[in-house]
Amino acid sequence: MTDILYFDHAASAPRRDEVVEAMARWQHGVVGNPSGSHRAAREARRAVEEARDEVAQFVGAKPGGVIFTAGGTESCHLAIAGVVNRHRRAHERTEVIVSKIEHHAVLDAAAMVDRDYDNVTVKYVGVDSEGIVDLEELESLVTEHTALVSVMSVNNETGVRQPLDGVNSTVRQFIANEAVTHTDAVAAAPWLHLPMTTAAIDMISLCGHKIGGPVNSGALVLRKDVALDAVTPGGGQERGRRGGTVDVAAAVGLATACRLIRAELADTNERIADYQQKLQSALSFLPGCRLTAPGAVKIPGTVHVTFEGLASDEILFLLDQEGVCVSAAASCSSGAAEPSHVLAAMGISNEQARGSLRISMGAENTEAEVDQLIGILAKVIYRLSE
Amino acid sequence: MSGGVDSSVAAGLLIEQGHEVVGATLKLWGGVSDSGCCSVADVDDARRVAQMLGIDHHVFNYTEEFERHVVAPFVAGHAAGTSPNPCIECNRHIKFDLLFERAARLGFDAVATGHHAQVLERDGQHYLVRGADDQKDQSYVLGYLAEDQLATLLLPIGHMNKSEVRVHAERLGLRTWDKPDSQDVCFIEASKGREVFLRSRIKVTPAKIVDRATGEVVGETSAAELMTVGQRRGVLPGRDGEKRFVAKVDLAAQTVEVGRLEDVLISTIALDDVSLTFAHETLGEGTEVLAQWSAHGIPKKATLHAEPHWHLKLAEQARPVAVGQTVVFYRLNEPEIVEGAALVAAQ
Repeated sequence: MTDILYFDHAASAPRRDEVVEAMARWQHGVVGNPSGSHRAAREARRAVEEARDEVAQFVGAKPGGVIFTAGGTESCHLAIAGVVNRHRRAHERTEVIVSKIEHHAVLDAAAMVDRDYDNVTVKYVGVDSEGIVDLEELESLVTEHTALVSVMSVNNETGVRQPLDGVNSTVRQFIANEAVTHTDAVAAAPWLHLPMTTAAIDMISLCGHKIGGPVNSGALVLRKDVALDAVTPGGGQERGRRGGTVDVAAAVGLATACRLIRAELADTNERIADYQQKLQSALSFLPGCRLTAPGAVKIPGTVHVTFEGLASDEILFLLDQEGVCVSAAASCSSGAAEPSHVLAAMGISNEQARGSLRISMGAENTEAEVDQLIGILAKVIYRLSE
Repeated sequence: MSGGVDSSVAAGLLIEQGHEVVGATLKLWGGVSDSGCCSVADVDDARRVAQMLGIDHHVFNYTEEFERHVVAPFVAGHAAGTSPNPCIECNRHIKFDLLFERAARLGFDAVATGHHAQVLERDGQHYLVRGADDQKDQSYVLGYLAEDQLATLLLPIGHMNKSEVRVHAERLGLRTWDKPDSQDVCFIEASKGREVFLRSRIKVTPAKIVDRATGEVVGETSAAELMTVGQRRGVLPGRDGEKRFVAKVDLAAQTVEVGRLEDVLISTIALDDVSLTFAHETLGEGTEVLAQWSAHGIPKKATLHAEPHWHLKLAEQARPVAVGQTVVFYRLNEPEIVEGAALVAAQ
């Protein structure tokens, strides 16, 4: 692909060359089954375990807590369904609390267990107008039956950081039971130092392709020994927590992406934060532009705005004509821009949300690209505002 | 583009004619439909066709507008005892209103669809004309289009028979896209039907079925909203063995009156003034037209009158027409040409 300006890292980040090279060895010829006992198997197992070490270090957990999965959605699903299934068999009632602004990977898994089991109830905690989880409301929802609380580290649409330490202390302060905490750290992983920011959380979900790794790679990382059922049992892999042969190439790719992010974290944050500032101030001059969650702390990569009176569909169409890849933040499997449940939870009207635009940057973006983007955006917005 | 053969061939032909073409699929219904949640399967088909034709494809989300302009009025209409045609409302408000506006804003010169109808240009005026394929003609559902819309509308397959369209599909390498024509209302699941859908939105009215000829109660219905004036299907013959037709649906009284054909025939159709759309200025008091009030109905000779309210005087008596249906007027001496359209009003 040539002549594109790629600003949709939050949808999928460019695959890093180092990732592709590291995976190549495990994508042709004999690749042993890591569960086997001969030398090909041992070699494969070694690559998997080295990858596990790297992912563990990335999150700041023990290698034994890393469960390789086929992506962020599976990780979140395993966290929720796995914990709920184990809990509901040993307890009369099982309650799950998730925030209203979770990715559908979490929301749909929660809705599924709520639908399927009579003794499982899901409660939803709201956010304020800045898109930050309401800890007072969370406090009111926690009971002795709470089995799991899931709050994302960073919202994938707005880029707003969530108070994970507050979530942890709120949950722990009022109940003495074994409630487990989970965070979807998919949007946070390219930007935050996870050992610190997720230190208080028991389970962390990661996704490979949002950090420059391969699609179909991810991990659920357990910081402590959480009791959970495998969602796909069979074969006993990953200590019985996820059946199926571990994809060596995917694990290696994920680990390589983690290593690169970790090494470049400070530099990337500093540079992209400058671009974020520049973009935000340039956009603020465009007609009808409103910055979403102006007062919240965000990751540097995301700029989310709404344009009054305009439709995302049309903005995206004209930007696409100019080779600009951005998104309206939420899209359904049909590919159409959807009214966002995140913006709705923040109290933003449907009318305003219709004109939303998410620009998401990554380490690859340059200042020249940002300048080009600003020029094209101005042209498109002025044209549609005529 | 729906992924069906008509819109696919329409796009393919325009590309061959040298136009710069972009495919668009409208996401209209957010709920469950026969093609899966939010019609994902249809969108996938359309996207695949666009890929095969080598053109860009975009999905435009009009679910809110569809709910507002099509589904809500459909439900409200039934609740009020009328029978609106959702496909016509969708064409009018979504496809040929919002999409046309959007296309102009985005810099397009024309909008094309795979409808079986044609646009004729004569002396600087544009006329909507029936499609060449009698069986497939869709001019009825496009009857509300006005001159300015017709001027920027392309209907690349309107002059073809369906079999010719399929030949083109095969030639263009689109022969796998032989989806059956869609017949039903897209937001109603065929397996569940209108009643299930309406019950999910409104409280339906059980009613007694009364025979006008004898005054007897001859049956009952669980949902009077589903009975359409003029309908015979599902209505039992009378004691005399003659067919019965729905003559009147009275939700307040919870009765549906049925009658023999001669008891229910009408000779005028009241029109809703506000909805009356003239494609041209050739319609007026006393104009003789051919009026058609269902998608594949037989056009009937009638005269248009403006006083006291717009109405049609039929040359011959006809089965009653439900309030909320659309009547399309075709030119008497050139019966292929659409002159205008209007909604049927209460008498």
